[in-house]
Amino acid sequence: MHTKFSCFLILLVLSMSMLPRAHGAPQSGGDFSENPQAKKLPTETILVKGAWSSASDSLTPIPEGGRVANHVYSNPYFGISFALSPDWTEKYSGPPPSDSGYYVLAQIRPADTFKGTTRGSILIAAQDLFFTLTTARNALELINYTKDKLNADYQVEQQPKLVTIASRSFVRFDYVSPVAELRWHVLATQIRCHMVQFVFTSRDTKLVENLIQEMNKMSLPEEAGPISGRGGGDFPVCVKDYASSENVMERVDPIFTERRFNPVPVRIIINQEGKVKHIHFLSAFPDQAAAISDALSQWRFKPYVRDGHPVEVETGIMFGRAPRTTTPRPPSAATE
Amino acid sequence: MKTVKLASVLAILAALLVPGMAFAQIDPGVRSGTGVNAGQPFPSVTASPNDLAFFQTGLAQFNEHQTVTGNNPGLGPRFNLDSCGTCHSQPATGGTSPASGIFPFVGSNPQSQVIANGVVNGSTNTIPFFVLANGPVREARFPFFFDRFGNANPNAPNGGVEDLFTVSGRSDAGSCSLQQPSFDAARAANNIIFRIPTPTFGTGLMANIDDSTLIANHGAQGSNNLGISGTFNHNGNDGTISRFGWKAQNKSLMIFAGEAYNVEMGISNELFTQDRPLPGEDQLGSGLPANCLNLAGTGYPEDITHSDGTSASTVTSDVGLFNAFMQFLDQPTPSTTSPGGATSIANGRRLFSAIGCATCHTPSLTTQASKLTLGLSHATANLFSDVEIHHMGVGLADNVSQGGAGGDQFRTAPLWGLGQRIFFLHDGRTSNLLSAIEAHESNGSEATQTELNFDQLLTPSQRQDILNFLRSL
Repeated sequence: MHTKFSCFLILLVLSMSMLPRAHGAPQSGGDFSENPQAKKLPTETILVKGAWSSASDSLTPIPEGGRVANHVYSNPYFGISFALSPDWTEKYSGPPPSDSGYYVLAQIRPADTFKGTTRGSILIAAQDLFFTLTTARNALELINYTKDKLNADYQVEQQPKLVTIASRSFVRFDYVSPVAELRWHVLATQIRCHMVQFVFTSRDTKLVENLIQEMNKMSLPEEAGPISGRGGGDFPVCVKDYASSENVMERVDPIFTERRFNPVPVRIIINQEGKVKHIHFLSAFPDQAAAISDALSQWRFKPYVRDGHPVEVETGIMFGRAPRTTTPRPPSAATE
Repeated sequence: MKTVKLASVLAILAALLVPGMAFAQIDPGVRSGTGVNAGQPFPSVTASPNDLAFFQTGLAQFNEHQTVTGNNPGLGPRFNLDSCGTCHSQPATGGTSPASGIFPFVGSNPQSQVIANGVVNGSTNTIPFFVLANGPVREARFPFFFDRFGNANPNAPNGGVEDLFTVSGRSDAGSCSLQQPSFDAARAANNIIFRIPTPTFGTGLMANIDDSTLIANHGAQGSNNLGISGTFNHNGNDGTISRFGWKAQNKSLMIFAGEAYNVEMGISNELFTQDRPLPGEDQLGSGLPANCLNLAGTGYPEDITHSDGTSASTVTSDVGLFNAFMQFLDQPTPSTTSPGGATSIANGRRLFSAIGCATCHTPSLTTQASKLTLGLSHATANLFSDVEIHHMGVGLADNVSQGGAGGDQFRTAPLWGLGQRIFFLHDGRTSNLLSAIEAHESNGSEATQTELNFDQLLTPSQRQDILNFLRSL
């Protein structure tokens, strides 16, 4: 009798355990949850990133590492420190670097405390000249390209001309939209083979001129200039296409596990011994970054020699799909 | 004297308030004074009896209601609705989400009527919390799978469509018994996002823009002083630019149709050949139970090319007909005068371009030669899109990755036909055009600077011109 009862109980438990599966009742997991007190995922957070920027270490400054703090925009990579007026602020940070080497470094606008009657904005941006979609070889050429490609909505107010800002040479270019009655004032220089630009937009020229005057308090590296900024000093020298065959002594190609079709622009710093010291992925999927890191750690370069001494050199390599230029590129950038 | 003083006060108040009110820009709303300006085939299709037959058969198939068994079999076992045309219906078949009480009065959200209309059984299905009578039509996705404790697991990306309804309890569904996904728990865990139907007007033109045209346009926008960059999503098989869907994840209209037939209606076809379980049932479980398979009793795939057909359009599969219908749908016709008048619209168009909106929302691109119909050949597609994907920031991010697009990247939504759309943005979160524009700025968005130009630097009357222009499309 006891055995029969035990068998009955076992059968009962078994049949009950089969019930949910037979009727497709939800199990926690997958698409189903019966947890009314589930931990909430954070709001307004990008948890699933596509191709994104990353670096081989967190200590070496990278272009997108600049910040606005205490009314000062500081960017250790470019060696820039730009004090903002107290009533101007960064409300929203920019997107990650693009796969053509474009950076939104900061977007400055009047704070809620701003008392002025007209408003404006300051966009601080950079374009990596190793990966630009244009044929420009330096910041001056890139500004001229912008001027040449300006669409019919705008009129040129100030042809590109050289100006001095904070004891450094910049190129200034102004244009206006008659219908919007807005003016764009672009001041650009070149640092570490990037065009670094400050774009002021407003309908109030006086406001903008005052803001441009405040740029004179900015600190910039000595190399800054519309053509000259190719590193050196406290930074590695930057050389376009240094990772070409004549300088690469050992090379291992990355093994990609997934077939993708995105451009993967990579900046590397090569040390005095010819080894890759730092890798900055402007835009790469994590698996692409891992494969490229593995490969680059095995590359060996001829040390870059300046004034008879090996020095660190920074260069760019495009992995993945080739960059899309709209016209044939001219010969490579001026070399030292 | 008192009367004089009161009149003076009123006059001052009026002077202060009325101009402000007059210049407070507003969304003019769905354009209703110009009739329905979308949904017609290309004139070259109308002129060709064979092409027109394809278009009309495709239109009829697009509007057909599917059942589990019977004359139009294959529905389910999971689905979002039983017909293409009920979701893609505003302002005409092929469009997007309808709403009752708004021109052209297509009707209330059909998903809210599925129990009343007998499409699903009310004892086995409930209407999810996000389906409301006044719309929009929505599909749901869980960005992440739940773990065994019922918490969303950020290390387990999901992102697939969680179909709203099941066939369980329908008289033609046999013993198939399925549970709806845990929508309420997903809401509690902040693990649910929505998508609304994309309009299909003019999509044949989009399909016929060569990659080289898109690449040249990308290059031309390469130095814009607006913080905008953008990139393309690519087809994983041949590496060419994909272009359909909210994240440009689909290469062609045929794939778009085949996937939708499978995912939204549960109908297997020659492109997607199996009945589709939920993502978790598929990837973490054992798939659909045996008693939910082959419910139509026809075998698989449920939609096929008919070798016994007697004409081209009766031989063609449903998916092929959807494809023909969408390819032959002409682009919407904008108004030059409504709303706000010709001057305001023209001014708004110039402002739209001047402040940077047109950098992504490229007004027009030219198609290549077409073998299909003259209307698709060397035509100007006024799509207002660059077909690129852009980072839209944390405010719009849905944490769903599709192809090369990450959690905050979306295809520039084509704006043609916007004047007669009701719901905006990928999830239909707003019906207010101004709110949709404002949603373009947030941390990490490429459009922040342009939105700032619109919101902070234009005058109210200039902003109104842009709204009028957009509602003229």
